[in-house]
Amino acid sequence: MAGLELLSDQGYRVDGRRAGELRKIQARMGVFAQADGSAYIEQGNTKALAVVYGPHEGMGQGWTQGSQLKGARGRHMQDRERKTGGFVLEIRGSRARALPDRALVNCQYSSATFSTGERKRRPHGDRKSCEMGLQLRQTFEAAILTQLHPRSQIDIYVQVLQADGGTYAACVNAATLAVLDAGIPMRDFVCACSAGFVDGTALADLSHVEEAAGGPQLALALLPASGQIALLEMDARLHEDHLERVLEAAAQAARDVHTLLDRVVRQHVREASILLGD
Amino acid sequence: MAAGFKTVEPLEYYRRFLKENCRPDGRELGEFRTTTVNIGSISTADGSALVKLGNTTVICGVKAEFAAPSTDAPDKGYVVPNVDLPPLCSSRFRSGPPGEEAQVASQFIADVIENSQIIQKEDLCISPGKLVWVLYCDLICLDYDGNILDACTFALLAALKNVQLPEVTINEETALAEVNLKKKSYLNIRTHPVATSFAVFDDTLLIVDPTGEEEHLATGTLTIVMDEEGKLCCLHKPGMFPPLQS
Repeated sequence: MAGLELLSDQGYRVDGRRAGELRKIQARMGVFAQADGSAYIEQGNTKALAVVYGPHEGMGQGWTQGSQLKGARGRHMQDRERKTGGFVLEIRGSRARALPDRALVNCQYSSATFSTGERKRRPHGDRKSCEMGLQLRQTFEAAILTQLHPRSQIDIYVQVLQADGGTYAACVNAATLAVLDAGIPMRDFVCACSAGFVDGTALADLSHVEEAAGGPQLALALLPASGQIALLEMDARLHEDHLERVLEAAAQAARDVHTLLDRVVRQHVREASILLGD
Repeated sequence: MAAGFKTVEPLEYYRRFLKENCRPDGRELGEFRTTTVNIGSISTADGSALVKLGNTTVICGVKAEFAAPSTDAPDKGYVVPNVDLPPLCSSRFRSGPPGEEAQVASQFIADVIENSQIIQKEDLCISPGKLVWVLYCDLICLDYDGNILDACTFALLAALKNVQLPEVTINEETALAEVNLKKKSYLNIRTHPVATSFAVFDDTLLIVDPTGEEEHLATGTLTIVMDEEGKLCCLHKPGMFPPLQS
């Protein structure tokens, strides 16, 4: 594309980074009170937050309130509710979905209508969001020790507030922190990063400008300690000779993300233990 | 011990506190929770604000687009609010189309905008009969701990104050709009409506800014929206369990 140089002769990208350099990452755990686990991450300008509920009884869509039921049954439920002070358990007949030997991981991806330059019509339920939700589910089913929680369900909700490239990676990183905050056992951290290929050089952590240029993009989710790949996805044409280089760039970036997330978790635990008075 | 009592008899637990004119989190009956506002954090939106009322967190993003005005109001723009209560804010909501509470909140915000005249729709007109601005205000609740209407109203007001619209001129020859992104101006906010919610306990006691638990135990809620001149913009009283005498 004329006029926009993704990689200058001196080796600098559009935003001044080097080829293998990540954007600035800031993350926080335990940001929301209602959820069992929550985390917020900023990767450059991409802002994502993840919220985890669970493990709880696999009931498909969730609890209901007596006030949502109509008529005499509704009033009866409301009386019971007021006395018990809680929600009335309404099993929605989806016990069949709960798996007998492991936990069900349910992921939903939603990106705010104001998160992109052009206003998004549908924040969730469209094809792209469903695909992302499915990819997140596949990633986390590989990482979470689901055998420890049979017949239960773990809900992971991810919300993107601002999208500036690398949304899948930011979502995975945020979800990892949220799952750790919820205390759900995992095999290892899941660290993700995107990578591209321009002018014979592999670039790590693409921003929106670099993604929109139309070159090959690779999204990688890695379990750093064992080096196992949880998810690998690539779009656009790339010669097979270059694949190894791009993969290595993404893997190195994911390991750098791991160092950062590890530090965030340790800091959070330190703060929590100070508050508990240990 | 207290936690056990609270689980078994939450209403009695609350009554013990209310008798001493205070609440379990230490607030007085007329005291609001700590409120924090963060303005302009989302750069892809034309205006944004994040409001935290205690634990209740609402983010509002405003995006401006072009639209053709309707024929019966050719010089009026549009302000379209939408409140989203996603399943991530609380386990009581499920994914899918907007539930009752989200729709009621959306309608409430639309009424507040309409009644309080926070923006004159004529200010959003670029070229009468041809081109007007439409402001899509999307409110997302990130953490639900009661008093969602107050937080939404506050977030909306803060985000609208943060909105900057570029200057638009209609080129006479081509009849196309030319946007000058270098010249941006703030919206003219005429009034500042503020919402206050109350929960009614045992038909006699009014408490301000109820948390999620308090809303659940209350017999009714009441929301009042007033602007800085003391004019009442909106009164929202969604039913009550035993009907009150007038």
